[in-house]
Amino acid sequence: MTTAQILSRARQEKRTVLTEIEAKQILGEAGINCTSTVLATTKAEAVVLSEEIGYPVVLKISSVDITHKSDSGGVKVNLANKEAVEQAYDAIMTSCRAYAPEAEIEGVAVQGMAKVGTEIIMGMIKDASFGPVVMFGLGGVLVEVLKDVSFRIVPIDKADAEDMTSEIQGKKLLAGYRGQDPADVPCLQDMLVKLSDFVNETPGIEEIDMNPVFAYKDGAVVVDARIILSA
Amino acid sequence: MMDLFFKPKSVAVIGASGTPGKLGYVIVNNIANSDFSGSVYPVNPKSDEILGYKVYKSLTEIPGDVDLVITALPTPKMTVATLEECARKGVKAVIIESAGFAEMGGDGVGYQKQIVDIAKKNNIRVMGPNCSGIVSRNIVTSIYPMNKKVPKGNVVLIGQSGLLAAGMAADIVENESLNISKVVSFGNKCDVSENDLLEYFGHDDSVDVISMYLETISDGRNLTRIAKKVAAKKPVIFLSGGRTEAGAKAAMSHTGSIASNAKIVEAAVKQTGMIMADDFTELKDFAKVFSTQPLPKGNRIAVITLAGSVGVNVSDLCASHGLELPKLTLETTEKLKDMFDTPVSNPVDLYFSVTKIGFTKTLETTFPEAFRDANIDAAVLILAGFEYTQEAVQKKIIQKIVKEVGKPVVICMIVGYNKYKNVIMDEMGKELPVFPSLISGVKALSKLCEYGIRRQKLLVP
Repeated sequence: MTTAQILSRARQEKRTVLTEIEAKQILGEAGINCTSTVLATTKAEAVVLSEEIGYPVVLKISSVDITHKSDSGGVKVNLANKEAVEQAYDAIMTSCRAYAPEAEIEGVAVQGMAKVGTEIIMGMIKDASFGPVVMFGLGGVLVEVLKDVSFRIVPIDKADAEDMTSEIQGKKLLAGYRGQDPADVPCLQDMLVKLSDFVNETPGIEEIDMNPVFAYKDGAVVVDARIILSA
Repeated sequence: MMDLFFKPKSVAVIGASGTPGKLGYVIVNNIANSDFSGSVYPVNPKSDEILGYKVYKSLTEIPGDVDLVITALPTPKMTVATLEECARKGVKAVIIESAGFAEMGGDGVGYQKQIVDIAKKNNIRVMGPNCSGIVSRNIVTSIYPMNKKVPKGNVVLIGQSGLLAAGMAADIVENESLNISKVVSFGNKCDVSENDLLEYFGHDDSVDVISMYLETISDGRNLTRIAKKVAAKKPVIFLSGGRTEAGAKAAMSHTGSIASNAKIVEAAVKQTGMIMADDFTELKDFAKVFSTQPLPKGNRIAVITLAGSVGVNVSDLCASHGLELPKLTLETTEKLKDMFDTPVSNPVDLYFSVTKIGFTKTLETTFPEAFRDANIDAAVLILAGFEYTQEAVQKKIIQKIVKEVGKPVVICMIVGYNKYKNVIMDEMGKELPVFPSLISGVKALSKLCEYGIRRQKLLVP
């Protein structure tokens, strides 16, 4: 489905929360690299898709009603074979039904296990006065505790994106710290500009999280994504 | 349209009064004392003459066109009625100075909405309500008396503060401490906002520096767009009041939970190249530095002092404000070798030179030699308010050298007798940025360097 189709279907269904699969499809269309993520509506389908993608894989609950996927027991990672996928599928369904009995569950999202890189968060929020604003920061604990992030008002250009990545306190971590690979900072800047371009051209988006994004020596990939539409 | 506010040919004051002390009197008196050469029409149903002007019973009774109406009426209801009259008369610019509108909540919100509706329907631009309007050479609409002529300067102060166009403007005009051209207080900004004024003064070539105070940002997206354009041409100093760290809203995303009004405003300042001030004094002080000093090409500072300890303190402050203290070139070191007991370093300690050739001569010869050095972009000069410095102050040596060398300087004065300090503050302070503390001078210079470097970058494609 195209971005326009996804957005119009969500509107028809009167929902403001997009699924991870929908969010990644939209971001992918905007030129932002996301882990390939596909929906399996049955256990058998989950196995077929896992084999297509190649082990190890991740299964995540796909439901617009369950926003805290980990808390609900809806995420199983590093699944190395058919048996592991089947067990994980059952475990996710049991746990999520118990966590949210009313939730409408469309299935599980199957995705390849992304190699761990420097953990980044990017996002967007619509401010009442400034309109869409994009954010960049180091993910994981650094964003939780230190809120080490930078913001810019949309639209941003390349120079703004460069300022965003160099403004954070922990920018040394991007350069590769203690033998870790450096992050592909130009690629991250390019993602920020694409994110800004996308929200600038697409009305009706309220919030976006790309969290985490894994940055490597060459390239970066969005591992999890959320899009919230304006009510 | 904005010209109607700043260059009107005719002005009516609704609620004009003949009683000294009343707002309606101060406004008419301020207009009378300004260079305004157009027609002045005080409006008051109960008077015949105010300050020599013929008084009209109502706006519609005025014979000719009225470019600008200023109202200072006691009730919002009367103000709404006046705006309707303005519409009938074909007036296109109105300054509403009275309070009692949206800032009061309750009924005030409704009255302000009525104002906005009438204005929109009739293409009237409204400044205010709840403001003190304009202070300029050509016209003063402020409710605070201005006792001297407003300078024809190169700085404008704009903002959501009555203080700006009242107490602060009066202070600046009386003390001649800043070369202002206009002060604009636009209060609740029900129509004319910071964006209109930034754009207007951005295009005005006689304006070199804009200082702005805001408590709310009407349209941040537009502000970002306009400020980026204007700040690429001239410095925009910005004091933002009422920023909050609370989340922008009840967000569903991680991003939303981190974003706050304060962080977004700070981001906009960085993105546009505006200069953030942290208090009203800085709003004025930064404008002083930017309006009197050339832009530096970098952040390499020479600290000029007679006291080692002060040099150490200023060095530390420079470091914490992103300024560097490079060594002077070998050439300068060689040239100055007779004026220093040990080879000249930075901070440049003039003590030996002063004991050898005296203070005035040192400022005339040793100081400019160090200041001119190729490694130096700007200087912090520490000056004391004692008798020995007075000759150099009277002869305006620093002014001459700054002009000749073409690099910026800030002067910090921390010790002295008040009778001499006051001369430096008042007299030298008219032409140069003089600060009563080291930190304020260093901070102001760091802003100038930051902006200078940004402008340099903009020049390189």
